[in-house]
Amino acid sequence: MAAVNGKDLNSEAAVPPSSLIRRVSSRSIRNSISEEKENGDAPQKGSFVGKYKKAPEALKSFNLADAESELEVPGTPMTPRTSTTPGHENCTFHHDLELDHRPPTREALLPDMANSYRLLLTGLGEDPERAGLLKTPERAAKAMLFFTKGYDQSLEEVLNNAIFDEDTDEMVVVKDIEMFSMCEHHLVPFYGKVSIGYLPQGKILGLSKLARIVEIFSRRLQVQERLTKQIAIAVTQAVRPAGVAVVIEGVHMCMVMRGVQKINSKTVTSTMLGVFRDDPKTREEFLNLVHSK
Amino acid sequence: MKELNGVSTSQCVETNGALTFTKKKNDNGHENCTFHHDLELDHRPPTREALLPDMANSYRLLLTGLGEDPERAGLLKTPERAAKAMLFFTKGYDQSLEEVLNNAIFDEDTDEMVVVKDIEMFSMCEHHLVPFYGKVSIGYLPQGKILGLSKLARIVEIFSRRLQVQERLTKQIAIAVTQAVRPAGVAVVIEGVHMCMVMRGVQKINSKTVTSTMLGVFRDDPKTREEFLNLVHSK
Repeated sequence: MAAVNGKDLNSEAAVPPSSLIRRVSSRSIRNSISEEKENGDAPQKGSFVGKYKKAPEALKSFNLADAESELEVPGTPMTPRTSTTPGHENCTFHHDLELDHRPPTREALLPDMANSYRLLLTGLGEDPERAGLLKTPERAAKAMLFFTKGYDQSLEEVLNNAIFDEDTDEMVVVKDIEMFSMCEHHLVPFYGKVSIGYLPQGKILGLSKLARIVEIFSRRLQVQERLTKQIAIAVTQAVRPAGVAVVIEGVHMCMVMRGVQKINSKTVTSTMLGVFRDDPKTREEFLNLVHSK
Repeated sequence: MKELNGVSTSQCVETNGALTFTKKKNDNGHENCTFHHDLELDHRPPTREALLPDMANSYRLLLTGLGEDPERAGLLKTPERAAKAMLFFTKGYDQSLEEVLNNAIFDEDTDEMVVVKDIEMFSMCEHHLVPFYGKVSIGYLPQGKILGLSKLARIVEIFSRRLQVQERLTKQIAIAVTQAVRPAGVAVVIEGVHMCMVMRGVQKINSKTVTSTMLGVFRDDPKTREEFLNLVHSK
């Protein structure tokens, strides 16, 4: 069996789940820009930065080291699979058949999570044995794993080399990408639309890859501000454009269903990098394109 | 409440298999409580708040199970917050029909249809523990007794703040209105969006689920039913 995360699974009978999961440490991120020897996953973090160590003109003020370290919150679980590990073809857990057919490293956690949910139901005063709730712990655990499947995906594999050379420098905007995420404070969903714009400098990105970038970072326990920033930094890493702009308009169920209970409220966050930050006209053009019907 | 249509209040509550807690009317409230949102109704001794530590532990186990680090800055108090939120989402278990109605039943010599439409509803899917939300429209034909209008919304609140299935929610609301005012007929229509279908699984974002319950003349007389649906769907 191929090694997963540098560990040979055959050697352990009962696998303690959390030890399988490599956590992002701030030290490993900073080191990844230079030589990286951790678990042989160096190419994953080093490839973009290695090729583009010199910051282009427009991104001079954009500190690469900061970008790398802020992309992932230290302590974020990362459970990427390698290309050599066998898949599970009839899996009902993974929805995206192209990308998600990989060994279920996190599915080993399902029984523990189901138990947590069973305890939760008992704590609520409900009867976990009644007909409607009989399999709810397992279903809820699977649902929660799906809502956090972004931890399993890495930027490089999602982009799948869909970066093309193109002699264009006009703004590219993909708007109203649906986003569903989980609030890390209340574990309640928040959803909304993401609009991404960038000014290419010789390289363009496959359009669906922008949506996939949104998926990686939104399917996690998130805060909308961090989500916006991570998406912007990921697009920057991918194609090194002259500037990136990301706007997210979200509805937070933690605010709608409980607490202040304001049903029509929306939260708008944005990240402007490069020329979008420096040049107000460019920013205005982007916002115009995003808000047009 | 007397036995009506062979259905009693306690039977309605036990359909969910939920426990009912006995309430005392005049216990000291907890005025600065952030848990209870509805100050009029919810100031009662925190019988279910005793469950908070256990639920917070379950959430902490859950976060560990996900592979997350419960000690990182953003997640430090998340188990407690999530447990409180979940208790809020299931606060319908604590409320009973009688206390919510608060005797807002009035004698009125009217027999024309009364419709309260587009009442927002937020509930939790009992199969995936993920929210579903939507609008509830209730109509009834009074027979001498009318109900305070906000009480219809409060009835929606009791039954939606539980682990629910949209079909059962519709039926419980209709039966509750029937018990309250004994009308000639009751109609309830719910149009809901299920996040378990939108965020995961089939991922159909624009889909809505419509369920309805027609009792009394709404079931027997198609013209009455048509009038109700007309009123509900008018802009």
